[in-house]
Order: sequence, then structure tokens, then C-alpha cells
Amino acid sequence: MDLDEIEILLVEDNPTDAELTIRALKKKNLTNNLVWVKDGAEALEFLYATGSYSKRNIEGIPKLILLDLRMPKVDGLEVLQIIKKDERTKKIPVVILTSSKEDKDIVESYKLGVNSYVSKPVEFDEFTEAVSTLGLYWMLLNKPPE
Amino acid sequence: MLVNFKINLQERGRIVAIVLTLVLFSFLTYYFQFHLGKIPISSLSSLYLQNPSHPSYLSYISIILTSVWWKKKRIWFAPAFLTILLIFIQLLFVTFGFKRYSDYFSLVMFIFVIVIVAFLGERIEKVKSLSDLNEKLDKEKSKLEDANKELDAFAYSVSHDLRVPLRAIDGFSRILIEDYENKLDEEGKRLINIVRGNTMKMGQLIDDILQLSRVGRQEMRISEINMEALVKNVYKELKLSNNKNMQLKVESLLPAYGDRILIQQILINLLSNSIKFTKPGETAVIEVGSKQGHDENIYYVMDRGVGFNMEYVNKLFGLFQRLHSQEEFEGTGVGLSIVQRIIKRHGGRVWGEGKVDGGATIYFTLPNEL
Repeated sequence: MDLDEIEILLVEDNPTDAELTIRALKKKNLTNNLVWVKDGAEALEFLYATGSYSKRNIEGIPKLILLDLRMPKVDGLEVLQIIKKDERTKKIPVVILTSSKEDKDIVESYKLGVNSYVSKPVEFDEFTEAVSTLGLYWMLLNKPPE
Repeated sequence: MLVNFKINLQERGRIVAIVLTLVLFSFLTYYFQFHLGKIPISSLSSLYLQNPSHPSYLSYISIILTSVWWKKKRIWFAPAFLTILLIFIQLLFVTFGFKRYSDYFSLVMFIFVIVIVAFLGERIEKVKSLSDLNEKLDKEKSKLEDANKELDAFAYSVSHDLRVPLRAIDGFSRILIEDYENKLDEEGKRLINIVRGNTMKMGQLIDDILQLSRVGRQEMRISEINMEALVKNVYKELKLSNNKNMQLKVESLLPAYGDRILIQQILINLLSNSIKFTKPGETAVIEVGSKQGHDENIYYVMDRGVGFNMEYVNKLFGLFQRLHSQEEFEGTGVGLSIVQRIIKRHGGRVWGEGKVDGGATIYFTLPNEL
């Protein structure tokens, strides 16, 4: 996989949630250029080509970032804040995909400029439906600025 | 300054005790320096020496000292001022030669001062104890706020962390069925579906517990509520998300005072119950009405569904208590608990009546004034 032409960046610390998400996206053929990172720190390293990703071309930004909220090291909201503040990455659509339905998380996320906030359903069919729908929307239906 | 002259028995006793002590002490000192000689205390004693028959100035001072001793530390202020005033008036009398009047005046003022000291003492002690109580209340309040914050964090943890493994259990059971379809027989699929069914129940329980805790924690914003409009709104939403046949009968409802979001939750729960517990195949008929009470309004939500046995009416609002089996009607038994908790927060009452196969009516009261 060419790390410079990534379409989806999945930031998710829980491996089972990640596997279910990738499986749902795969059903709609959206996983050809998907990278999964396990925490906020790694996500930032990837996006800004630092640390273990320093060989990556920073110009190659993903088309969609799926972001979990509660993660070790660097929290989802911190990542969101950094992404939306940096000129190079603020245009990337960020969809928060989280178990939390708490108002304060939703309010805070939108304050920081998130593009969409989706609460992960517990039930498998609902979950698959939600993820594939949002994947199709942001990758195909939605027109990014170019 | 508090001017509340309601005196109860205990207070009266204390005042009498204070008065007696002051009178005793004052007369003792009066007796001593009147009969046993002149005791020069201050420059005031020269005045005394000229007029030994007046109640001594020492008496006044002894009043002040007594009140200071009677643990009312701040009381010296008012009677001291009064005493100085009275001494001044007495001096005036003496200066202008109204000796007899000044004697009577002294005696009357003497008694008057004692009584005032007693009252003032009592009042000031009351103020002090009230401010002590206030301090205690503030401490309790901050303790409660801390407890609430802990509950908040706990509820958040429940909502977030418990759902993750639940999602994994459900998801991977399904993946098992999907990917290994040809290796699983009917029995295998049935077993896995039982696993999935139970994760769903657990998810619902978690949501219910969260809602219950949120209902107890959230701050209430009281406003006047148009109950009729609210009921109609709730009914409209339920009708959209429900494919059962249903009908609403609502006469004009009295407005009430409460937190709009919480009252809406009550109506959602009650109307959902009415819809849920209809006899299979029949149309759900819901009737909502209100009656004016003294300082509260009584509302009722009535249906003609399967009702319940009045024998178990005490369990109606119990947490996770159900009066029907899961096969008959789904649910976790938390809906009415939530209703009860919300009504309690509003200071109202809630109760229910029902008949097996004869429908059920839930009554609740809400304040009709602030």
C-alpha cells in the first residue's frame, strides 16, 4: 500500500472496533487505501510525516479521517484540534466515530470543527450500516475541496 | 437585624433565666456599694458619691459584664450604648434638680435595660446559630457536588466503556455466522443468536441505567409548560417511529411548572407504555387529561390495553420490576421508575390503577405555581 496515497485514515485504539469498522468498509470496497493507527500520537505522526512516518510525503493527505475519542497518549479531541488548526490538514473531513453519546463530547467536537459525529451502534447490523453509509457518503457523494 | 418576636417555650425559659441572672447580679452590686460604702471605680464614682440613692452606675456596668459573660460576646455593643444614653439622661435630671423624677426614671430604665439585654441576647444568639447552620449547609452542598461529579464520571464510564466489548460480542458472533455459515448447523446458529440476543438486552439495560442516572443528576430548569402541546408533540414523534395503530384523545390540559425536558421524558415513557401494552391486533387508544388540585394539577394517562393486576400495584414503579414476561412484552422495567424519579424531583406524586385486560391509568401531579 502506498502510504502517500491513502484515502482513509482510521484512528482507533480498540482492535475489535477497528476490525468491525474495516470489515464494514470493505463490504463497500472502500478499504483499498486505508491505514489504521492505534492512537492519537501515531495519527499525528502519520499526518505530519514525523516519527515512524518521516519517510512519508506530507503532501499526500487522506480523503477522510475516522477518529475515535477516548484513546491513550493523545486524545481524539486533541488530535481534532491540531488537525483543524493546521493549514495543511484543516480541509480534511473528520468524522468522529465513538461509543460516547455524551452531550459534552458532541458539543466540544463541533466547537473544534468536526465535520460529522457518529455514535457507534452496539448492534452489528446497525453498526455495519452506519459505517458503510458514512464511508460511501464521504468518499463518493461528498465533494471535497480540491 | 432579625425582628421576629415569636418566642417559643424554650426561648422564654432562657430569657427568664437571663433576666433573673442580670437582676440578681445588678441588685447584688447595688446592695454592696449602697450599703457597704462607696467603691470608687472610676470618675463616675464622684457623681455617685453625690447621689448615693440612685441605682448605681455600677449596676449598669454589671449588666454589661453579665451579658458579656453569658457567652453573647457581641452583645455589649447595644446595651453599652443604651447605658451611656441612660447615664447621660440621668445626669441631665440631676443637673436640673429633678431628683424624684430621676429616681423613678432610674428604676424604670434599670428594669427596661435588663429586659432589652435579655431579648437582644436571645436574638443575637439566634442569628449566630443561623449563620452556623448556613455554614454547615454550604459544606454539605459542596460534599453533594463532589458526589455528583463522581457519579457523572461513573455514568460516562458506563456509557462508553461497557458498550465497547458489547459491540465486539455482537459483531463477532455475527461474523462467525456469516463467515462460517456452511460449517454451522441450525443448532449452532440458534446458539449464537442467543448470545446476540443477550448482548442486545445488555445494551438496552445500559442505556436505561444511564437514562435513570441522568434524570437524577441533571439540573432542572423550571418554566411554565404547555402540557397539551407537549403531549401532542410526543404522540406525533411516537407515531412516526411506531407502526402500530394508535389514537390519542386529549382534552385541553392545564399548564404546569417544571423542567420541560424531564416532563417530556415522562410523557414519552407513559405514552410508549400505553402503546406497547395494547392487546395484540388492537388499536392503541390513549387518553390524557388533567384536573385542577389545590396547588397542584393532577394529570392522567389512560389506555385500554392489557392492564395489570392491582395486587402487584406496589411493584409498578419498582426499578427493573416488571409485571409481564419478556415474551409477552419487551422491556427492562425502568420506564416507570424514571417517571417516578422525575415526579419526585418536582415534588409531586405518582400512582397507578389497572385491571387485567381492562387497561391502566397512571396519575401524576405537578405544581401549578412556582
